[in-house]
Amino acid sequence: CSSADSFNPLNLFSGEKYKTEIVPDVPADDLYNQGLARLQHKDYSGAAKKFADLDKQYPYSQWQRKGLLMTVFSQYQNASYDDAIASAKRYIGLYPTSPDIAYANYLEAMSYYNQIPDVSRDQERAAKAADLFAQIVEKYPKSEYAEDSRYKLQVARDQLAGKEMLVGRYYLNQHNYAAAINRFREVLAKYQTTRHAEEALMRLTEAYLALGITNEAQTAAAVLGHNFPDSIWYKDAYARLQSDGLEPHEDQGSWISKAFLHKMGLG
Amino acid sequence: CLGYNGQVVHGYQLDAKTIDQVKPGASAEQILVLLGTPTTTSTVGGDAWYYITQVTDRSLQFMQPKVIDQRVFAVYFTKAKKVDRVANYGMEDGKLFDFVSRTTPTAGAESTFLKGMFLNLLKFS
Amino acid sequence: QSVSVQGNKRVDSDTIAAYFTGSDQAAVNKGVKDLYATGLFADVRVRREGNRVIVSVTENNIINRVAFEGNSKVKTESLQAEIQSKSRGPYSRATVDADIERIKDVYRRSGRAAATVTARTVDLPNGRLDVVFTVDEGEKTGIKTINFVGNVAYSSGKLRDIMQTTEMNFMSFLKTSDVYDPDKIASDLELIRRFYLKNGYADFHVVGSDAQFDPAQGGYVVTITVEEGAQYKVASVVVDSHLADVDGPSLLPLVRLAPGETYNGDMVEKSVDALTKEVARRGYAFSQVHPRGDRDPATRTVTIAFVIDEGPRVYIERIVVRGNTRTRDYVIRREFEVGEGDAYNRALIDRAERRLNNLGYFKKVRITNEPGSAPDRVIVVVDVEDQATGALSLSGGYSTSDGFIAEVSVTESNFMGRGQYVKLAVSEGQHARGVEFSFTEPYFLGNRMAAGFDLYAKKSDVSQYSFYSNFVTGGTLRLGLPITEEITFSPRYSIYNTDITVPNDSNHPYNDCTYPIWGVTPGFNGTTVNYWNNCLTNGEASLAIQQAQGNFLTSMVGYTLSYNTLDNNKSPTGGLYAELRQDVAGAGGDSHFVRTTGDLRYYHEIFDQIVGLVHLQGGDITALGSDQLRIVDNFNMGPSLVRGFAPNGIGPRDISSIGVSGNSSGNPLGGTKYFGASLEVQFPIFGLPRDLGLKGAIFTDAGTLFGYNGKTNFAGGGQCTYTDVAPTYTQGTCITVGANSSLIRTSAGASIIWASPLGPIRFDFAKAITKSPYDQTQFFRFTGGTTF
Repeated sequence: CSSADSFNPLNLFSGEKYKTEIVPDVPADDLYNQGLARLQHKDYSGAAKKFADLDKQYPYSQWQRKGLLMTVFSQYQNASYDDAIASAKRYIGLYPTSPDIAYANYLEAMSYYNQIPDVSRDQERAAKAADLFAQIVEKYPKSEYAEDSRYKLQVARDQLAGKEMLVGRYYLNQHNYAAAINRFREVLAKYQTTRHAEEALMRLTEAYLALGITNEAQTAAAVLGHNFPDSIWYKDAYARLQSDGLEPHEDQGSWISKAFLHKMGLG
Repeated sequence: CLGYNGQVVHGYQLDAKTIDQVKPGASAEQILVLLGTPTTTSTVGGDAWYYITQVTDRSLQFMQPKVIDQRVFAVYFTKAKKVDRVANYGMEDGKLFDFVSRTTPTAGAESTFLKGMFLNLLKFS
Repeated sequence: QSVSVQGNKRVDSDTIAAYFTGSDQAAVNKGVKDLYATGLFADVRVRREGNRVIVSVTENNIINRVAFEGNSKVKTESLQAEIQSKSRGPYSRATVDADIERIKDVYRRSGRAAATVTARTVDLPNGRLDVVFTVDEGEKTGIKTINFVGNVAYSSGKLRDIMQTTEMNFMSFLKTSDVYDPDKIASDLELIRRFYLKNGYADFHVVGSDAQFDPAQGGYVVTITVEEGAQYKVASVVVDSHLADVDGPSLLPLVRLAPGETYNGDMVEKSVDALTKEVARRGYAFSQVHPRGDRDPATRTVTIAFVIDEGPRVYIERIVVRGNTRTRDYVIRREFEVGEGDAYNRALIDRAERRLNNLGYFKKVRITNEPGSAPDRVIVVVDVEDQATGALSLSGGYSTSDGFIAEVSVTESNFMGRGQYVKLAVSEGQHARGVEFSFTEPYFLGNRMAAGFDLYAKKSDVSQYSFYSNFVTGGTLRLGLPITEEITFSPRYSIYNTDITVPNDSNHPYNDCTYPIWGVTPGFNGTTVNYWNNCLTNGEASLAIQQAQGNFLTSMVGYTLSYNTLDNNKSPTGGLYAELRQDVAGAGGDSHFVRTTGDLRYYHEIFDQIVGLVHLQGGDITALGSDQLRIVDNFNMGPSLVRGFAPNGIGPRDISSIGVSGNSSGNPLGGTKYFGASLEVQFPIFGLPRDLGLKGAIFTDAGTLFGYNGKTNFAGGGQCTYTDVAPTYTQGTCITVGANSSLIRTSAGASIIWASPLGPIRFDFAKAITKSPYDQTQFFRFTGGTTF
């Protein structure tokens, strides 16, 4: 830490004098039990301190592994997510083969997940959470956290798609159709399985119509109808095309139908 | 008039001379060299390239710029990636309408009035 | 092959065994090396018996506690964080020596290079040991002196003032800007370079800067050698365009440099900016403008050529905003005039960065480019770091009209991350108190139009300067439309209710001639009435004010047209601020008038750091239709017009009972026309270090306020009866108005301006030179506290 801020000119007395003082040694299992006791009483920060002591005092022992894992858990419960992430990364680095490795990864992912802000703010944590959940699903498919990770992965990706849609709609309202189209394409290319895919297709219809490229608009609406027949977005797209005397008609060559067909396995 | 800082050309910088050199039968690479990367393309395989240009104008600095001219130069390719045909869409092709205001709901903590007001006061450093 | 471990007390045997992967010599050596690396073992010995490997270790002692002695300027926690030896960790001589160096480095960085550090160990009964670091901090070793070599054009003092780093002086115990820090010195050198370039020294460069620690002086001596070169004048300016149909000379007016002027680095930069924007506007979005200066040392002139040529055709693929944990994405994105898919234009990106910085929502704004998905595509990355934009401020202040005033206010300039400004302020003072709420949305309906509203209630009590109390509650709807960078037009509608009451109680008997108070008003408390003791002598509000009592509503439409080219709004040294305000009251409500006021301030740096200020102001209010102007709507001026006069001390006044003591200053009637002019010179007080933030100023003011055209005969058409005449010595039915002429009041004086941590505080001492006999003067005035 930079010493400038620890520089306190007003500390006028001449500094502490040294006094011998024995710091008692606490056996490892006592420390562990004290930590568990604090967890029961929901004193998470106290528990985290106890487990951290265990980790510091008994380095290179199996107590350190247990202590570190419980530190991550206590910090996570205490909602001090940044500390939990740091401890989890240390655990994963030190004990890649430990039986609780899936749990450590899960705790780290959840620490990011709980900090996801609303879509109009930086979604970096959503992206990190998504990567970690994806790893858990891929590396530890049989672990008890795989199911929940698959669900949370979907939510995190939905959030990322939401951000793309927000920026897309911003440019749509600014009449910058090129930027809007590229943003909605991004949603269809990367986040096709999220709830935003429907709206992305409808927005594409609107943007292409505003540009006057009617065949792309028709294709987008047709694919929307094809994949999400009873979606309210399809009703909007259909009504929009109707009012301009057009019909949703799938131009097989168009990229949208291609992108959807082989991805959704319908092609 | 006062404060006029006028027209801005957005999107693809159209250049009439290069546009005329696009001939059917030309290869995708030639078009890439001639016109550069398209503003947006219409297929994963690239079977239609769109070069979109917009000109906006604004008379007073505080007003929102209005689109006064919009041109799309489209290049359609055959399966063999050769230029099949070329199309131009102008301002008149664009349909004018209000976009649907509904949005897909998204998650994420939405801070309330008080939190918004005082939340960062606590970080009053 | 098995490994057995002996001699370990705290570390598990199997953990140690795991370090020995085989029994051959190489594996054993590696195991030993790794064990030492853990820092846990003082000694590791390995014996091989057949295929068994016996490892005998002696563990390092464990540190019980690490203590510090003699550190007062640097706290123990921060030292603790810097060193490796930790309590309960292993003790090793090497780590302790390394720690000593680390502690010394901490002290060097905080300006105490002379500190010495020693370490000792204290053995404890339980086989543990304590490590004690003793620190002798020594004297503060900041920068004793900063010397310049080779500076002819500007004095060393002038150059030192430009630098952020300062020399040690009696303020040293408080400030840290005199600590020797190489990067701060480097950024100072850049400031000096820019200063020289700004003043025509195109050849200027810093030959070298070195800092010697001089134990005798107990500090660093920094010597900066510069080579100024000649001061260049601009011989000629040419715009050389390599673009097909953009002809250079037509762009010449955009260049901010003219032949004959001294060369100015900043103006070159501004010209490049203007040229790039203009050429981009003409459709050459990829053009780049490079300034080239050909110097002719003989004639000390430089010919400047702005070369415009075609840049690479690169488009913006995406604009990525990162780090905005509070501000919303669109609040940042809307500051960009360039969108995704547009041509990449450096000038517009820089302008967006400047705009984002001016918002004040961010600690840091950095815009960088990353390669896009194609060679002619680039991703613009906007890294921002939110800062706390909420401000809870308590401010005290004293102004002679309102007395002591304290104000608590909460302002949030980036409300909910939407860029909106919200302010709630409550003020409490001796004579005035009030509450105010205001809200502003800078981008109303997507246009760069600042729309907002204010709600306020302000009660000003009776004071020695006015014999009536005034309670105003109201609100304003306002719009701010920037016409150009400098001109802003802000229309508004405001509606407010004013409640005037003349108090008539025992301690403020200002209406007791008409409503005598038993036991207080002379003649009603058993005392006889005479010239020196009657209902007027205990202070009496003028008939005009008594008649103006009551509750009435003003609803008015108005606008402000402002022109602002100040170089910085807090303490301007150059530029002009002019403002024209006009309000028409009459859209409903009880008052009907047209009020126009104008205000102009022109700052000019006469000599370096000495700033001249010319301040002109004027105003006129005329009634509309047949309605009479209300006395409260009149202008009541004081020190704000001519310093040296008391609040409401200038202008028409009811002097009918002027002879009576205690009644002279209380009855200003205000006027309908005023003009004022002021000439001021601000200068730093020499000899005082810059850190105190003290400035001096001398000024002369002149101004007049006149034109009271309200009623003077309140006898309901009857004959006037006069004031303070036997036998009743009461208030008459008419008032005589004094000082209603356009006499020019003048004054001269000096003031001290202190930019205190609390906010700007100003002490004005002014002597009135010409005044009307009825004006009220006031030699000293003090206004302070953070101005909102």
